Amino acid sequence: MTYAHMTFGDDLDTLPRMPSWVTSARPETAEDVAFLSGAALNHLHLVLRREEVPQSLLRERLALRAAEACIAHLGRSERAGELRDAIAFLQPGDSPGPAGETYLSWQRAVERPVSVKALHRAIPGIEAGQIAEWVDAGQGAPVARAALVLETVMSAAPRQEVAALMLAEAALAQAFGWDHLVPLLANGLKRADLRKRSTELRLACHRAMTKSATEASRLAADLARQTTHLKAVAPKLRAKGAAEAVEMFLTRDAVAPSALPLPDRAARRLCDRLVDLGAVRELTGRDTFRLFGI
Amino acid sequence: MAKDRSEPELDRELEDLPPELRWREWMRRIEAVLFASASPVPREDLAKVVGQGVSVDLIVEDLAADLEGRSFEVVQVAGGWMLRTRPAYAPAIRAAADVGEQLLDLNEFDVAVLAAIAYHQPITRDGLKDIFGKEISRDLIGRLHARDLIGTGPRAPRRGAPYTFVTTERFLVAFGFETLADLPDREQLEDVGMVETAAS
Repeated sequence: MTYAHMTFGDDLDTLPRMPSWVTSARPETAEDVAFLSGAALNHLHLVLRREEVPQSLLRERLALRAAEACIAHLGRSERAGELRDAIAFLQPGDSPGPAGETYLSWQRAVERPVSVKALHRAIPGIEAGQIAEWVDAGQGAPVARAALVLETVMSAAPRQEVAALMLAEAALAQAFGWDHLVPLLANGLKRADLRKRSTELRLACHRAMTKSATEASRLAADLARQTTHLKAVAPKLRAKGAAEAVEMFLTRDAVAPSALPLPDRAARRLCDRLVDLGAVRELTGRDTFRLFGI
Repeated sequence: MAKDRSEPELDRELEDLPPELRWREWMRRIEAVLFASASPVPREDLAKVVGQGVSVDLIVEDLAADLEGRSFEVVQVAGGWMLRTRPAYAPAIRAAADVGEQLLDLNEFDVAVLAAIAYHQPITRDGLKDIFGKEISRDLIGRLHARDLIGTGPRAPRRGAPYTFVTTERFLVAFGFETLADLPDREQLEDVGMVETAAS
């Protein structure tokens, strides 16, 4: 089979979609819930291996969503836009504030391959030895393992929701043999789910996984399509430093023009040009202090 | 310079003590450090007075159990631990000495602004003006700053890139919060009529 006539629009189909029997099911029994989460996660597992998926960009986006969910659990009102701002306009020596802090934690958690050291860097408030012990607290199949880690941390330290979710995600990544943490649980669990225990919690985790794995697969497909387009238009850019700039857009959630390796004016022009070419979007809707990303 | 070296290095491992006494000694050391410190002591600092790789958390746990029945307790606040008198003894302490207000010495409006910052951080002075319907003086912000209750957060993405304000760890300690999630739930406060629902 050849794809001789493949145009830009067809790229969407190069990544297999989540089967509709997963997305449209309304499972009732515990057995069905677990079955579907397994199917969804396996699909995601295969999608994540595709080389057209921009891995670190995908993880950054998922980290942003995870941070957004955690902030909402805390009863705060900041949303993705404010989280991006908090990090993008942070000056050395200033505090990122509660929302920025949570986002930074998640960013650090997905940045480097999963290890106790990397996790400790993300949640410095918890001893490295304790982190190692908690990550290994689970047993059984991946989701059950993650649920057990979540439960262990939440019962030992009920206020450490971010840490509990992050370590459960780390256990999940290890169970799947993924190098990096891919935030899924945090985006799918509701605040009340975090107080659940044993069977109930496991069930909630399975439901969360089905939802998050489906969303993550869709996001991966979107990002794969958009990065392919960006790579395709990149040769049209003649500005000096454009290649490095494109590389930043391919790996990062949001980039301020001032962060690009170009003089200010040239950086702003490059961003505008990329927007005209449909390769990146302006993310804030503002005229000044703009942030760009795929 | 060389004189600094005159103090012998602290024996952290205490290998000549039997395990039980060693653990007691570590507990006492941590108690002493917490007693001597006016601010919460982070785990890394406490780890310096006990054996390599010994879990500070476990020692603090034992210390907390030891202090059962005393008028003060070990509490975990803002990324560290501190010794604090139990709330039940607040009236006694207030009756004996004029310490009630000395910590903060803020007027009612200062506290209202502080609360607004806590709930809405990161927030600029303009943002506070919108909430209170009047200009918030630099003096007031300065007072909160001088008491280390607020700090500067990320710049607001707006003309002039004004500073935003965020609360500090000191704020958490002063009000006995472990994290900002301990702030009273706004909706609940509205439900019981403690605060008015935003009228704007």
